[in-house]
Amino acid sequence: MFDQTNLRVFANHVRAAAENMAYTLQRTAHSAFVKETEDFTVMLMNRKGETFGVPMGLGATWYPGLTWGRVIDMVGDYRPGDVAFTNDPYSGHVATHAPDTHLWKPVFHDGELIAWTGGHIHNTDMGGAVPASLSRALTEIHQEGIRFPPMKLVREGVFDETILSIMTTNVRKPDLNVGDIKALVGALNTGERKILAMVQKFGKQAFLEGAEALLDHAEAQARSILRSMPDGTWEFVDYADEDSVEANPCRLKLTLTIRGGEAVLDFTGSDPQLGSSLNVPSGGDPRHTILLVGVYYVLYTLNPNILLNTGLTRPFTCIAPEGSVLNPVQPAAVGMRSLTCARLRSVIFGAFSQAVPQRLPAAPAGNNCIVNVMTTDERTGRTVLAAVNPVVGGGGGMPHRDGTNGSGADAAYLKNTPIEITETEVPIEFLRYGLARDSGGAGRWRGGLATEMAFKVFAPGSRITARNRDRSFFRPWGVLGGRAAGLSDMVLNPGTDRYLRLGNIDTAVLQPGDVLEIRSAGGGGRGNPLERETWRVARDVQRGYVSVEASEQDYGVVIRQGVVDEAATARLRSLAPVPVAHFHFGPEREGYEAQWTPAAYALLTEILAGLPIHWRFFAKTEIFRRMKDRVGHDGVAAAFAETRARFQEMPEPKPVTRMAAE
Amino acid sequence: MASATTGTPTERAGGEDWKVGVDIGGTFIDFCALEARSGRVASLKVLTTPDDPGAELMTGLTLLAEREGLDPTTISRFVHGTTVGINTVIQRRGVSLALLTNAGFEDVIELARLRMPDVYSLFCARPDQLIARDMIFGIPARLRADGSEARAPDMAIVAEAVTAAKASGAAGIIVSFLHAWRNPAHETAVKQEIERLAPDLFVFTSSEVWPVIREYERTTTTILNGYVHPRISGYLTALEDRLKSRGVTAPALLTKSNGGLMNAAEGKRSCVQMLLSGTASGVIGAAWLARRAGERQVLTLDIGGTSADFALIINGEPKFGTGELIGEFPLHIPSVSVSSIGIGGGSIASVDQHGVLRVGPESAGSVPGPACYGRGGVEPTVTDAMAVCGWLGHSEMAYGQLKIDVDLARTAVARLAARIGRLTEATAQAILDVAISEMFVEVEKLASRSGVDLRDFTLMPFGGGGPMLGAFLAREFGMAKVIAPPRPGVVSALGGLVADLRGDFIRTVFVRLAETAPSVLLEALDALVAEGQNWLAAQGHEGPADLRISADMRYFGQSFEIEVPIEPAWIQDGDRAAMETAFHAMHAHLYDFSDPDGEVELVNLRLSAIGAGPVLEFPVAANEVASLASPERLIPVFIGNAVEEIGLFRRGALNPGEHFRGPAVVAQDDTTFAIPAGTDARVDCHLNIHLSFAE
Repeated sequence: MFDQTNLRVFANHVRAAAENMAYTLQRTAHSAFVKETEDFTVMLMNRKGETFGVPMGLGATWYPGLTWGRVIDMVGDYRPGDVAFTNDPYSGHVATHAPDTHLWKPVFHDGELIAWTGGHIHNTDMGGAVPASLSRALTEIHQEGIRFPPMKLVREGVFDETILSIMTTNVRKPDLNVGDIKALVGALNTGERKILAMVQKFGKQAFLEGAEALLDHAEAQARSILRSMPDGTWEFVDYADEDSVEANPCRLKLTLTIRGGEAVLDFTGSDPQLGSSLNVPSGGDPRHTILLVGVYYVLYTLNPNILLNTGLTRPFTCIAPEGSVLNPVQPAAVGMRSLTCARLRSVIFGAFSQAVPQRLPAAPAGNNCIVNVMTTDERTGRTVLAAVNPVVGGGGGMPHRDGTNGSGADAAYLKNTPIEITETEVPIEFLRYGLARDSGGAGRWRGGLATEMAFKVFAPGSRITARNRDRSFFRPWGVLGGRAAGLSDMVLNPGTDRYLRLGNIDTAVLQPGDVLEIRSAGGGGRGNPLERETWRVARDVQRGYVSVEASEQDYGVVIRQGVVDEAATARLRSLAPVPVAHFHFGPEREGYEAQWTPAAYALLTEILAGLPIHWRFFAKTEIFRRMKDRVGHDGVAAAFAETRARFQEMPEPKPVTRMAAE
Repeated sequence: MASATTGTPTERAGGEDWKVGVDIGGTFIDFCALEARSGRVASLKVLTTPDDPGAELMTGLTLLAEREGLDPTTISRFVHGTTVGINTVIQRRGVSLALLTNAGFEDVIELARLRMPDVYSLFCARPDQLIARDMIFGIPARLRADGSEARAPDMAIVAEAVTAAKASGAAGIIVSFLHAWRNPAHETAVKQEIERLAPDLFVFTSSEVWPVIREYERTTTTILNGYVHPRISGYLTALEDRLKSRGVTAPALLTKSNGGLMNAAEGKRSCVQMLLSGTASGVIGAAWLARRAGERQVLTLDIGGTSADFALIINGEPKFGTGELIGEFPLHIPSVSVSSIGIGGGSIASVDQHGVLRVGPESAGSVPGPACYGRGGVEPTVTDAMAVCGWLGHSEMAYGQLKIDVDLARTAVARLAARIGRLTEATAQAILDVAISEMFVEVEKLASRSGVDLRDFTLMPFGGGGPMLGAFLAREFGMAKVIAPPRPGVVSALGGLVADLRGDFIRTVFVRLAETAPSVLLEALDALVAEGQNWLAAQGHEGPADLRISADMRYFGQSFEIEVPIEPAWIQDGDRAAMETAFHAMHAHLYDFSDPDGEVELVNLRLSAIGAGPVLEFPVAANEVASLASPERLIPVFIGNAVEEIGLFRRGALNPGEHFRGPAVVAQDDTTFAIPAGTDARVDCHLNIHLSFAE
């Protein structure tokens, strides 16, 4: 049994090893994805492949709870100096889309395997149908690049040149891939060296026990947090605006049950796997890290001292039915799973918000839009391809302060690029980059404001992609009387007669002089806006965060010539109804759910779950197509009957008993 | 309340020539004075008076006069570092400012670079800005990236903004426009207009403070400059008056964040340059001491009450960086690179609900301070743990201004020990182990970020707390050597004394080298050289100018630059290949690879203008006689898991050449040096103690 008092010392040495790996990788990597976007992770694993140490300051936030046992077992006969790898989302369910290349290395001490070091990098391109290997429009994994099932990449210190040559033949930026992979191998070697130094310092037995003690400690911390919550069951639903080019909503549903320091996250009722690349390949693992990212945020927010490792995941059990968007089967495409993951996080936030309403914020904007421009530099004739700023929204209103403006919450890892750098390198001119008035959900604590960015292009045929756009229909929700936030949008030539609203579309072709304006959603409000102090509302108006009209309409604060009219305000506030619902979703969702009632979705889920997996998305699309002027359970029944009449080849849905995990 | 020690006493002679370095920190003001003719060194610590920064300086001069016979009129060099600027930011006591910037980009300073430090927390937030959004005024105006004008500033809107800013109580105005790094014309025109409309407001433009590309970084640096300007300016004026009243005729020189010096007139305008003066001059002092002792690869460790600062010295020179934090705001002028962690002697130990011991982030600070200071602190701190183990308490601290009460420390630690069911000494040792491991994480990050192997480095601890824990930390890293300077408490004051005049200048050119006419770089170089020479002249420097040129370069497609030293001849001769080769080599050195076929961009040209200060002769022992030092007495110290009787040495009694073995304690007026087992200690001719760990 490891001495609990000294656990922090061991934890610090583990963290130092992980931080060292992260800086080594960032310092020696070649691509912007790894060096600057920090789309990478590194970790230390115990003998079973459970992560027990990750860096806190660098890298992506998704994988502290990753378990590697499945892929480790798919490659055998490990020797010192070996490194294995995979990028296949369907082999072992460690990689979650093809650009993410995961590597792991055994650590031996006196001939005995005592631990693993591992990590992943997001490769700039893995080949496939489109540059960067990512597009929502792709429908099969085979379009998303070359896949390597788990295999050895380095044998006893020597790279397998055959594997490297297969990769470099199939990808668009081979030098970046190879450079980044070698940098990651260097980081794994660093981790190995640091583990052996720990063995020397603490002793082998204490090291092995220490790794387990860290997992146990994180588990105990997670259970403490769960025990501080009431037992109970809470349901929550949220939607991605579009499930594919078909543009029907993608629904995620969570039934959260907390009992005695444990929690079950049942995602039954979420959409079937999609005919787009928005699927999240969890493999049905009840503790898959990608299903639990929202949980990490909740736990860390409630206890910032929590250790991030696989131990955290132990009190949680996820149920993600096979063939659903959260557990797709081959050959479903998965490249753009990050959009769905953002919605998955907000579903988890919404469920926990009901369990501990006093302790958590309203919804963050949840649309981490990444904008790329491909245009021609008129001075040189050169084609320029560049990432411009991410357009992200604010955090949700918090228990004791306003949501963070323009980023925050689960988008806080993103960075922007200075306007001056972009304008110097890319022939575009920004007209605006700032915060959008009235975009934060009204509340006792206002939601964080959205970001608004507008730029002009000068060359014909300038192509824009705006990946991960969402929340242009379903708003980030408010809680406890707080209001839903402003929507995201993409508009061509605002304020002119060439105005065109692009909505949720994620690509656009611009002509000379065209102006593209992209706006994110805001963060949801928290608490009754009528209880917000008038001085705060007045200050928001003075700062341009809230308009005079919204001040009156949403906050009941009357401002005349910059001064609060206290009497008129008191009168207006006394007349306004007190909100009662836990959530405020906004008129769009309320309208949508008037048609698509819980009963309608219950029937739809039952029908689709009863069909073979390859029929489900087709059936969903056809039913949606026939829902015009139809409502609720009976509407779905009628639409399905009409679908079956049209497609007589469709099999009879089988009655489904409730699906269990795995 | 103060006391002094004297270095090598020699006979006092007429015609003395004093050089005085003064550093004002959070708790103490430190003096390091050298009488140049005799080589006599005096050091002194005085408690600070927060309400009247600068007053204690007079107290110090009085004490130096009383005890050392220092006649203020014989001071020929007076160098001063102060925290008044950084405290103004941290305590938010600066002036109300307005910002005039391009319409459409008013939120640049709030959005910053988006990423926040605590990425796992849904509560992560940015600090409240030094200029609130309602004091930021968008002016219709636009320069293109090439510096050409797309739209002239709308002066009618400028006038409205100035009126509104004045009505809201602004004391000064910051002007920052897009692409002012390329063309300052808009900023200059708007500044002139503001000065015409409101001559009572001070104005700073981003292009005059630090004309570098990247709007957020440039703007926020300019704001910091304006925010502290009136307070620093007032402080410096008062300082000059006070010095004059004492008959000090030497001009006051100020230590800068870049480790160099400037004169007071410059300090009143370029306030931003002195925000990190104390930490920077500490590293400068440490580097100077290390070079003298023959150490060129050094990790410095300065532990105070609430934090520990680390810096790397490579080849005898401190590392420089930008983006050092001033409170919550990054400062983008070149600064001596120092990493900090919130663990210090006053950090409080606690136990969580699962029985895991933690140290920090809460700190007892200097008030009430650790329990053993007897000033009302009751929580167990790192210093208390040192006292319980027996390392502390054998002499007065801080030149007699603090006494260690071991019983109070024991009471505080015993309470914690009871909660975890351990002996008091074992709990104290556990507190030290945790504190050291917290520092271990930060130093590992620093080392891996810099790509260095700490086993090649020597640790130099200084400050009041550095020598307490330094050797233990060195052992964790497998560092072979530790060097403890003779006066660890006044290294920052010493750093100012030995520093050179140094001004940094930058021109953003942002070009691809392959397609750039040599004249573009040459023009920038000539402008920088002229600027640097003028600056040195304005500082009153008469000796030769050391002008160092460097370039911030990157491969096309990268979004960060690395600084590469450049020979002026390469630019003058249009030798592009030499510049590229230097860049490839530096890239390979820092990042382990280079891309000789890659296209190279040159973003900034930089120039550091250095005017060497006078060469100061500090006393050196003529002969080192190797002999075994004998301890004053043996004291019981809890080491690892048992009490041992170990030697207690007085620092003042140790002579050059003497050696002894660890474990041992060396007590002195400004700190206690704890020496672990398995070490050999030796005193050198500069009175440094060198520790080496046995293999």
